[in-house]
Amino acid sequence: MNDISKKSAEGGFSTVGAVAALLVLAALYAFPSFVESPYALHMMILLFLSTIMGESWNIIGGYTGQYSVGHAAYFGAGAYGTLILLQKWEIAPWKGVWAGIAAALVLSLVIGSICFRLRGPYFVLASIAVAEIVRLTVLNTPSVTNGAEGILLSDLPPFKIGETVITDFVSKVPFYYIGLTLALLTILATWGVQNSKLGYFFQAIREDQDAAHSLGINLSLYKNIALALSAMMTSLAGAFYAIYIKFIDPTTVLPLDLSVQIVLIAIIGGIGTIFGPVIGSLVLVPLSEALRSNLIAQGLINSGLVKEDSGLGVFLKEHLAHAHVLIYGILVVVVILFMPDGVIGFVRKMSARKR
Amino acid sequence: MAILEINHVSKFFGGLAANSDVSFAIEEGLIMGLIGPNGAGKTTLFNCITGYYPPSRGEVLFKGRRMNGLQPDRVCKLGMARTWQKVRPLAKMSVLDNVMVGALCRTNSLKTARAVAMEQLQVVRLDHKAGFLAGGLPIGERKKLEVARVLATKPVLLLLDEVMGGLNPAESDEIIRLILDIKRHGITQMVIEHDMKAIMRISDRIVVINSGEKLAEGSPEEIVTNPDVVAAYLGQE
Ligand SMILES: Nc1ncnc2c1ncn2[C@@H]1O[C@H](COP(=O)(O)OP(=O)(O)OP(=O)(O)O)[C@@H](O)[C@H]1O
Ligand SMILES: [Mg+2]
Repeated sequence: MNDISKKSAEGGFSTVGAVAALLVLAALYAFPSFVESPYALHMMILLFLSTIMGESWNIIGGYTGQYSVGHAAYFGAGAYGTLILLQKWEIAPWKGVWAGIAAALVLSLVIGSICFRLRGPYFVLASIAVAEIVRLTVLNTPSVTNGAEGILLSDLPPFKIGETVITDFVSKVPFYYIGLTLALLTILATWGVQNSKLGYFFQAIREDQDAAHSLGINLSLYKNIALALSAMMTSLAGAFYAIYIKFIDPTTVLPLDLSVQIVLIAIIGGIGTIFGPVIGSLVLVPLSEALRSNLIAQGLINSGLVKEDSGLGVFLKEHLAHAHVLIYGILVVVVILFMPDGVIGFVRKMSARKR
Repeated sequence: MAILEINHVSKFFGGLAANSDVSFAIEEGLIMGLIGPNGAGKTTLFNCITGYYPPSRGEVLFKGRRMNGLQPDRVCKLGMARTWQKVRPLAKMSVLDNVMVGALCRTNSLKTARAVAMEQLQVVRLDHKAGFLAGGLPIGERKKLEVARVLATKPVLLLLDEVMGGLNPAESDEIIRLILDIKRHGITQMVIEHDMKAIMRISDRIVVINSGEKLAEGSPEEIVTNPDVVAAYLGQE
């Protein structure tokens, strides 16, 4: 029996781990005091957003093994719920977000109660279909959602406690702290799930549904609980995105692209682990940023690997930025072939081999 | 008193009658052996009893209660648990976690579940593998894990489907002792096994099925001398 088949003591924190975690936490909370660059803050906020989405999906996909490729629907529910209430009725986002969460919850229960009767690939397909239905519905009810035009947030009211203004949201710093706090909360929630009866039941369902069923686990009940938790957490990310970016429309908060991206965060990092989505975010956020800003094409040219005026150089400069779907596809293939348990699983295997 | 009554149970797969009109009862506290050639319908009967699929005809009474239509999780909660002939370890979970899943059928506390699970692992002598991934166990230990896991659900009736299949004689002996030990704890058992010596040794009564039908029922002595059984089943060996 080799080391790999031994379970690592995940969940039980060691002293070294606890000290390291505290240091990282302190550094994260101090970060805006030392770094003023709005771009750096923006990158960090995207990391937090990605972490929230990844941790959320991980509950239903990673722990419970039910691959939802329609999480954009819950993201959109949070985003639209919050922003419609804010823009139309001036309901503050920290209140409006509850409407977004409730919408995501209702949506997840509807989807779950229909789809979890079926096993196998049906849930994946149904999740895609439902998310598309949601997107088209939003697109076609402009009286409520503004349709394809989207919703532009004109004014974000300051956050007050009593009469004291805590923040007026002019800089990125308050968003940094909101994002960080939400990300930490989702990590904590995942830790809580993993260390409770829920986590055991979710994983048992993932490993073998028939075995789980015969051991007293009500399959549809626990799948629905997992999906509901996951959906509500995802809607938080959507709400946060909406008040941060201040503009939402069906192509930014409800597309299939987004659903796929959410799945990738956990798969690349390592599904069913607490920190997998964090690692996945550390890979994906810089990658998509590099693609978007054409950093990769420029890098290849600058390094002399590709001549700028050559056919390939021109082609890369023009098209690589739009090729993120292709690149993601390649990434998935690489991960599935060489790192089926994501980066975390890969590192564990390597370190076990070294010993 | 009969803890389990099987009344005229039939199960059809398309035109195939995997069980047809099977009836018998199991007395509380005893071990019922269930034997029959390959494909006789033994596992199918377990599946019908435990709610894995509904019987096409007939009914199952557990502690006097009609079980038809109940899902496997309800069946387990009511105190009837089964192991799988083709073992089903929760591969990426540790051995201890596997058994804890069973224990969590009766408690919400991880601490209690862990204690129960450790206890059951000791009973099947698998406690030294508690921290290992279940997927990495050899077959003998997987079978033991199946047993520990269902014991952790605290059943009053245990259905064991070929827990000695694929084991060496020493391992089989260990399982036989385990089954007798479980009996001493007052748990009723129905045991499917191909090993005739083992089944004769542990069973209080035996039911023989062949081509989906009940062929004979009686004490081990009655079964070995029953000419039908000898012809249909023992003769093949
Ligand atoms: N889900 C199913 N669909 C169709 N046919 C099935 C199904 N399950 C079992 N059968 C058939 O029913 C018959 C009885 O199978 P079963 O597994 O109950 O036999 P068994 O007595 O357990 O055999 P073994 O000793 O080999 O385990 C076989 O012919 C089998 O092919
Ligand atoms: Mg069988």
